[in-house]
This record gives sequence, structure tokens and C-alpha cells, in this order.
Amino acid sequence: MYRIRFHGRGGQGMKTASRVLGTAFFQEAFQVQDAPRYGAERRGAPIFAYVRASRTAINERGVINHPDLVAIADDSLISAPAAGVLQGIGPRTVMLINSHESPETWQHRLNLDNTILIVPAEDAVTDRADLPFAGMVCAGAAARLVGVIGREALATAIREELHTHGSGLVDRNIETALHTYDLMQDHANAVTEGTEISAKSYASPQWIELPLENAGSAAPSIHAAATSTLLKTGLWRTMRPVIDYDHCSHCWWVCSTFCPDSAIRVNEEGVPEIDYDHCKGCLICVAKCPPHAIEAIPENAAKAREEKAHATKTPDR
Amino acid sequence: MAKTLIRRMKDLPSTHLFGSGTPMCAGCGGLESLHQIYEILGPRTVFVNAAGCMTLLAIYPFTPFRGSWLYTAMASAPAGAQGIRDALDILLAQQRIGADEDLNVVVLTGDGSANGMGLSATSAAMERGLDFLYICYDNEGYGNTGQQFSAATPHGARTATSTGPHGFGGNKKDLFSIWAAHKPAYVATAIGAEPVDLARKVETAKQLKGPRLIITLAPCPPGWDFDPRDAADIGKLAVKTGIWPLKEYIDGKVVHSKIPHPRLPVEEYLKTQGRFNHLFQPQRDEALLAEIQDSVDRYWDGIAV
Ligand SMILES: Cc1ncc(C[n+]2csc(CCOP(=O)(O)OP(=O)(O)O)c2C)c(N)n1
Ligand code: SF4
Ligand SMILES: [Mg+2]
Repeated sequence: MYRIRFHGRGGQGMKTASRVLGTAFFQEAFQVQDAPRYGAERRGAPIFAYVRASRTAINERGVINHPDLVAIADDSLISAPAAGVLQGIGPRTVMLINSHESPETWQHRLNLDNTILIVPAEDAVTDRADLPFAGMVCAGAAARLVGVIGREALATAIREELHTHGSGLVDRNIETALHTYDLMQDHANAVTEGTEISAKSYASPQWIELPLENAGSAAPSIHAAATSTLLKTGLWRTMRPVIDYDHCSHCWWVCSTFCPDSAIRVNEEGVPEIDYDHCKGCLICVAKCPPHAIEAIPENAAKAREEKAHATKTPDR
Repeated sequence: MAKTLIRRMKDLPSTHLFGSGTPMCAGCGGLESLHQIYEILGPRTVFVNAAGCMTLLAIYPFTPFRGSWLYTAMASAPAGAQGIRDALDILLAQQRIGADEDLNVVVLTGDGSANGMGLSATSAAMERGLDFLYICYDNEGYGNTGQQFSAATPHGARTATSTGPHGFGGNKKDLFSIWAAHKPAYVATAIGAEPVDLARKVETAKQLKGPRLIITLAPCPPGWDFDPRDAADIGKLAVKTGIWPLKEYIDGKVVHSKIPHPRLPVEEYLKTQGRFNHLFQPQRDEALLAEIQDSVDRYWDGIAV
């Protein structure tokens, strides 16, 4: 049985990726399960979706804990524990990462000997609309890595799953998926089927038993205000708005008023400041700033810029 | 008539009472209006919320509000508000709380609840003259469950349950008129993309007693299929094309707070959203486009500039 997990952010099309891969397997006469998993959060928040495919009946249910392949649409998720990307990875798990960095860098960073394959991430795109759909990038690559899905089955699956969308969009997605399918040519069959897991070998997770407490201490009343600020929604961001203070006309109210997330405050001098712990990267401020003083840059480029600025500030020892 | 002090952007609050870190989508138009509304209402409010996206705002122990929040079933938010109002009134009458401890009771629901399941409870609350404010953020569908059509979905839009070549076949319910027909203290339409207009309306509603109801159009990136960056621009276009009229019902009269002049063709608005793609691709659906334009034109016919 193949067990494949897709990780991404709401809106990157990972749920669709799992549907497409599942349907492509089905085209090749496999029995298939696919399901998305997300919490209460919305577009931008980490989600995952998973696919099981087998020539015989699938009796397993629930989340995949021992994946043969983990496909990651957004490499910034790897370091976010809540995203659970590394959950249950074993020595034979293949990792497919949409990233700017090399397999060796990731092996080193994660301290893993696993096969790590990279689909080169798009550079210098300032308009999200120009980005190829990460979901299709991953679905195309995964289809090739399992080695049992043909180009035709992949294209048919995409047509089927996206039939409610315009033909232009369908064609673009097929093109994207086939492109990464071909990119992975040298690694066809890199992902192999995992062994059957029998019900007998099932071990329950290591629950931590908590004593039953009275409601007053188990679920205390919260009197603090605006506790949501403890949640760092800045992790959702793929693009970062950056204010160019030389061009900001200090109108203060525009970006700060339009930001749905109260993530832009105006300081005592009337200067707007973006709270990157909470900014989700919607970029409404970029669209609304009257003197166009806010620029959108990809989050990883922004991080690199920050690190460089930091390095030049710290004296060498 | 109530007086408003807000005239321009500079008069809007520069600090934010509403907490960041909510689980709403990046670029949520409903959240954009709610945070602006909250800055004007202030912390002395209690929210009564019917199931919908905004239910996720206050997931224990996290909340963006500075006061209490009550969750009700989809049909029952105004009934929940009645209970809270009555409890507050009893506490006030028994002098167990002072007037300075009184709270504004605010119902917050989506369009699905407001136009459908919750309409009867709202009607009854108005009939009883309940002193409350109702905020409906209208993302024109059942957003929380994946954007199925609601009674507020516009004609021709694609939804998860309107996938045919002509999209949704029904027509958007005129909730403003239905509410106004009850002759409550105040009804208004607004949108987060017009912050001054919205703030003035909230300020007006805050000063009145009795049932007060505001609908804000809420551009929804996943539900309407557009890049989150465009949420406010799309909202502006809804006003400029006249498809979302900004108006108030007060003192028994309906007054438009902004009359778009000249009015842009409605397709300028429609073409910004994937849910209307089928009107333009693979070829233009001239008949449906003309039908939508015609319904907008008929609305504005006879409304003085
Ligand atoms: C009686 C009942 N039926 C169905 C549901 C499931 N449900 C939860 S939220 C939701 C959508 C509500 O739509 P709307 O009021 O427009 O709010 P939105 O999700 O768009 O914010 C539905 C159908 C429910 N909670 N209660
Ligand atoms: S689905 Fe739409 S209304 Fe719901 S949180 Fe997301 S953007 Fe807001
Ligand atoms: Mg809705």
C-alpha cells in the first residue's frame, strides 16, 4: 500500500492535490482513500491531506502516521511544529520539498539521511497569481515518484477534479503537473509501497492520562482581554508587506484601518508599524496604501534580507 | 436624528481594540468590517454569535474581544440576545450593577443565518422591540461549510452547490427591506471598504435604542475566489458599480449614504472574482451579464443623484 501525505497551507491546493493523486491512482485501477485534515483555521494556516492507494481492499482508516512520501508545498512549514510535517517519518520515507534550497541543505538541517527531492520553488514572484499552484506541483511530482501512474491518468484526474473550473485553468494545471511529473523522471519509483500494518500490531499512542478535575480548574474562566494575540498567525504568511518609510506619507489611517487583522498599529509619531507576529500576509495594505509605499516580498526573501541586515550589524569576533 | 462626529478618515480611531491572531482567512472582508465596527462600539459589548465563520473567533481560551461572547445555534442568536438583555435589565433594576456596567448586546451572524434560519427569530426580536444591535457580515453563502449557496447569494454566482453553466439561479434576498418593513429603530448596509461610512453608521446605531441592524458586504477570498490582496478593492467596486447600495433606514425613511455617480458597469465588479468566471469564459454570457446589469439599473432608476 502507498501512504502519501501532502502538507501545505489553506489555499495552496493540497486538498486538491490529494484528490488528484487519488483519482489518478484510481485511473490505474488502484483502490483509493483520500482525505484532507484541517483545524479551525482558514486560508493560510497549515493543513495536510493524505492518500492511501492499494491493489487490494484498504482496511486502514484515519491519519497516515507512517508515510512513504511526504510532499511539502511550502518549506516554511517544516520548522512549524504545529504543521506536523515530520510526524512519523521513517528511514524509507521520501520527502519532496518545494524549496529554494538543496537536498543536502535539508538533510543537514533536519539531520536526516532520507531521500529528499526538491522541486525548485518559483523565485521573485511578487504577484501570487503568477505562482503555479503548489498543489499541482506536488501532485505531478508525487504521481511520477510512485512510478505506477501514467501521464494520461494524471491529466484525466486533473480534468475530473477541476471540471467545475474554466478550461483555461484546467489546462494550466495539467501543464504545471506534467511539468513536475517530467522533472521527476530520474526518480520514478523512488517511493515504494509500505508493508501492510495488521490490526494486531496496533499500539495506541502514548496518551498522557490526566486526572478528571473539576471544571473550575480544568477550564478556568478567562477574564483577560484579546487573548487571541497569543496566537502567532504571522506563521501563515508566504508574502510579507514591507513599508518603505521614505515613501510613507504618514497618513496612518489607511493601512491600519483596512488591515482585517489589526496587525498595523500607528505609533505616537503617527508612523505605521506592521506586527509580523500576526500579519497573515493578505497584502490588502499593499493594494490600499495611497503613495504605494508598501511592497510585497516573498517571505523567504524577506527572512534572508533580515539575516543579512543582522549579520552586518553584528561585529565579527 | 442621531449625530455622528466622524467625517473623514482622520477621525477614525488609530488604535485597535480588536485583537489580532484570529483564525479568519487572510484578507477576510467580514473581519475587516468587524474590527472597524468594534473600534467604534468599544469594549462594553457582549457578542451573541450564531454558527458561521465568526464562531471561530472566540475558541476557548482565545478571543479577540475584550468582553463576553455567547455562542448560539444558527437560528437563535436574537433569542440569545433577548436573554442577555433581560438579565442585564433585571440586574440594573435590582441595582446589582450600575448603569456604567451595562453592556451593548450585539448579535453577530453570517448571511446564511440572517436570511434563512435566523430570520424568524430576528423578526420576533424586532416585534418585541428588543434593544440590540444585529451585525450580519454577508459573504453571500455558507462560508464556514465551504460556500454553499444561501438566500443571499447573488444571481449567477458559482457556489459549491451552484456549479452549472449559469451559476446560482435564484436571486439575492432583499434583507435590508425585509428588516426595514418591521420599522425598527435603524437598518443600514455598509462595507469594510468604506470605513468612514461604516463608522458613521455604527456610531449612529450606538446612540439609538431598540432594534438596530447593519449588513456589511464581506468579500470572501476563498468563497468568491480572488486573491486576498484585492478584498478592499473589490468592496469598493461593489459600491461604485451600484450592486451594493449603501443606505440607511432611520426615522421611517430610507436614505442612500453614497450614490455612485457615474455608476461603473457591473462587470467591472464581476470580473474580479472567480465565482463569476463563467460569465466571461470561454465566451461572454451576454444574456446573463445584461440581466445582472439590468437588475442593478432598475434598482437605481428613480433614485435621485
Ligand atoms: C441548524 C444548523 N444547520 C447547519 C449547521 C452547519 N453550519 C455551520 S456554519 C454554517 C454556515 C453558516 O453560513 P453563514 O451564516 O452565512 O455564515 P458564514 O459561514 O458564511 O460565515 C452551517 C451551515 C449548523 N451549525 N446548524
Ligand atoms: S471563508 Fe470567507 S467569510 Fe469565512 S473566514 Fe474565510 S474569508 Fe472570512
Ligand atoms: Mg455567509
